[in-house]
Amino acid sequence: MDAKLKPLSQSVSIKGDTLFSRRIGLKGARRIAGGLWVLGLFVPALFDNAWISIAAIFAIYGIVALSEDIILGRAGMFDMGHAGYFGIGAYVTAILNVTFGWPIFATIPFAILVSAGVGALLAAPLIRLRGDYLLVATIGFNAIFVLAMRNNLGGITGGSGGITDIGVPFLFGFQLASQSAMFWLDWVVLGIVLVLMRNLDASEFGRTLRYLKQDELASTTLGVDSRMVKTLAFAIGAGLAGLAGTLFAVQISTVSPSSFVFTESVTLFAIVIVGGQGSIPGVLLGTALMFILPQIFRDFAQYRYLIFGFAMIAVMVLRPQGLWPQRSVRA
Amino acid sequence: MSALLELQGAGISFGGLHAVDDLSFAVEKGHIVALIGPNGAGKTTVFNMITGVYRPTKGKVCFQGQEITGWQPHAIARAGIMRTFQTIRLFPAMSVFENVRAGGHLRAQQYWWQGMLSLPAQRREETALAERTHEILCKLDLDRFANEPATSLPYGVQRRVELARTLAAEPKLVILDEPAAGLNDAESSALNRTIFGIRDSGITVLLVEHDMNVVMNVTDHIVVINFGRKIAEGNAAAIRSNPQVIEAYLGRDENEAENVT
Repeated sequence: MDAKLKPLSQSVSIKGDTLFSRRIGLKGARRIAGGLWVLGLFVPALFDNAWISIAAIFAIYGIVALSEDIILGRAGMFDMGHAGYFGIGAYVTAILNVTFGWPIFATIPFAILVSAGVGALLAAPLIRLRGDYLLVATIGFNAIFVLAMRNNLGGITGGSGGITDIGVPFLFGFQLASQSAMFWLDWVVLGIVLVLMRNLDASEFGRTLRYLKQDELASTTLGVDSRMVKTLAFAIGAGLAGLAGTLFAVQISTVSPSSFVFTESVTLFAIVIVGGQGSIPGVLLGTALMFILPQIFRDFAQYRYLIFGFAMIAVMVLRPQGLWPQRSVRA
Repeated sequence: MSALLELQGAGISFGGLHAVDDLSFAVEKGHIVALIGPNGAGKTTVFNMITGVYRPTKGKVCFQGQEITGWQPHAIARAGIMRTFQTIRLFPAMSVFENVRAGGHLRAQQYWWQGMLSLPAQRREETALAERTHEILCKLDLDRFANEPATSLPYGVQRRVELARTLAAEPKLVILDEPAAGLNDAESSALNRTIFGIRDSGITVLLVEHDMNVVMNVTDHIVVINFGRKIAEGNAAAIRSNPQVIEAYLGRDENEAENVT
């Protein structure tokens, strides 16, 4: 089957790929990405605990940034409240685990579904809004979420201190308590999400998001139900963020409102814009710049936002398509 | 033959302005019908009413005997009406191939989760979609541009890409908004053949056009509007000799009058 496909896929390959993927081909790029992921598995063997947890945080925020990119980079909707969905997932896991004694893995489907449900419910009335209006509305959502958590909503969110002592996950009788074990869990989930994202980009739904972003009127006259597609994009993006929320709750074993405030949403937004909208390597690069680089230059860590702020300005001026843009045709 | 598309007293007003008023006409299945009229007569507005971009404030639009007045554009597309735009609307960051594949959106049966999991049925459909796109590109002589960024191509080619995109959807009715605008003589003759080709493949065509070479040579039926109202309809010969039409439209410009006599 592959052999039969070849001439066609060759004839439709896109000119003007990023330099990297043009030189080595799409297959090669994937092989390198897969190789890097496998190398990542050896982080616990090569680095100390501090670095293992940094790598785990990178994996978790990588998932959140990728999920933001579904809404922002692919569908082109300005979602500035994405930390809210991340937080919903974390809180769902924390509440179900600490208050109701559920095992961590059993909370995952609910973390995803509740986040996705809130994303869809919120999106339904908001998607008629365009650009800056949507952006302000999603900021509002994030503010409400944080406020609700701080005020101990329903007596189950623990107020501004949040929820502590979240349990460790068990897998086939093994306790994933060590830094290494938790890192591997995060890394495997990141790998799964990366495959899902790659598949999304090669599917009709993934392309439909891009059609809507590039020309909504033309899309709808081709039969794209923009309301449905946008709501679904919000739900999927929020659901994946919720999944990352579970990992986050496990990683730091405590959730509190301050982890999901508006500035976190701004960071996620900036990662996508600076890294490259709709580009999986771009978003991961942005995440690394935001979460790994400051650790390398730890003496300058307090300048993280200053440096990232200047980097954002520089990128927007010099390279508005992002550091590592999605492969696309250039006119 | 029954009417595929029928407007019954359709009208739309923006504020106090009646852009289109009390317009009735029918498009027979298998015909090529032109909607003509002087600049600003409301032709594109009529198209926007039919395709759901605007909602008619009066009257009815029926397609295949079913009323589609006020439907959302995507629902009307689903019913089988596809259109091109006066100002070409291709997806700017996509290749010719990707643009034409977009036309197959309604033909894709896959669900989003099948795509994310890359299930075998979804992959088979992707292959079929790519092959079908390739066929359409070949049919419209666009295959050599397949990998080119769509908006970097000459105007005439872009028009053809947009047409290919609508045909990829296998519509029952295709609505062309000034398909000959910006084309040279050779391209516009080629367009005539293309339009006949579309009709022969079983698709009904409704078009707005200024190019009389196209209007008079390809159409089965012509509807003339002015100031949002129908002033005449009939075949090319009848329209050519209709004094009202000549006065309102054709007679106004010496050159255009020459073209049609």
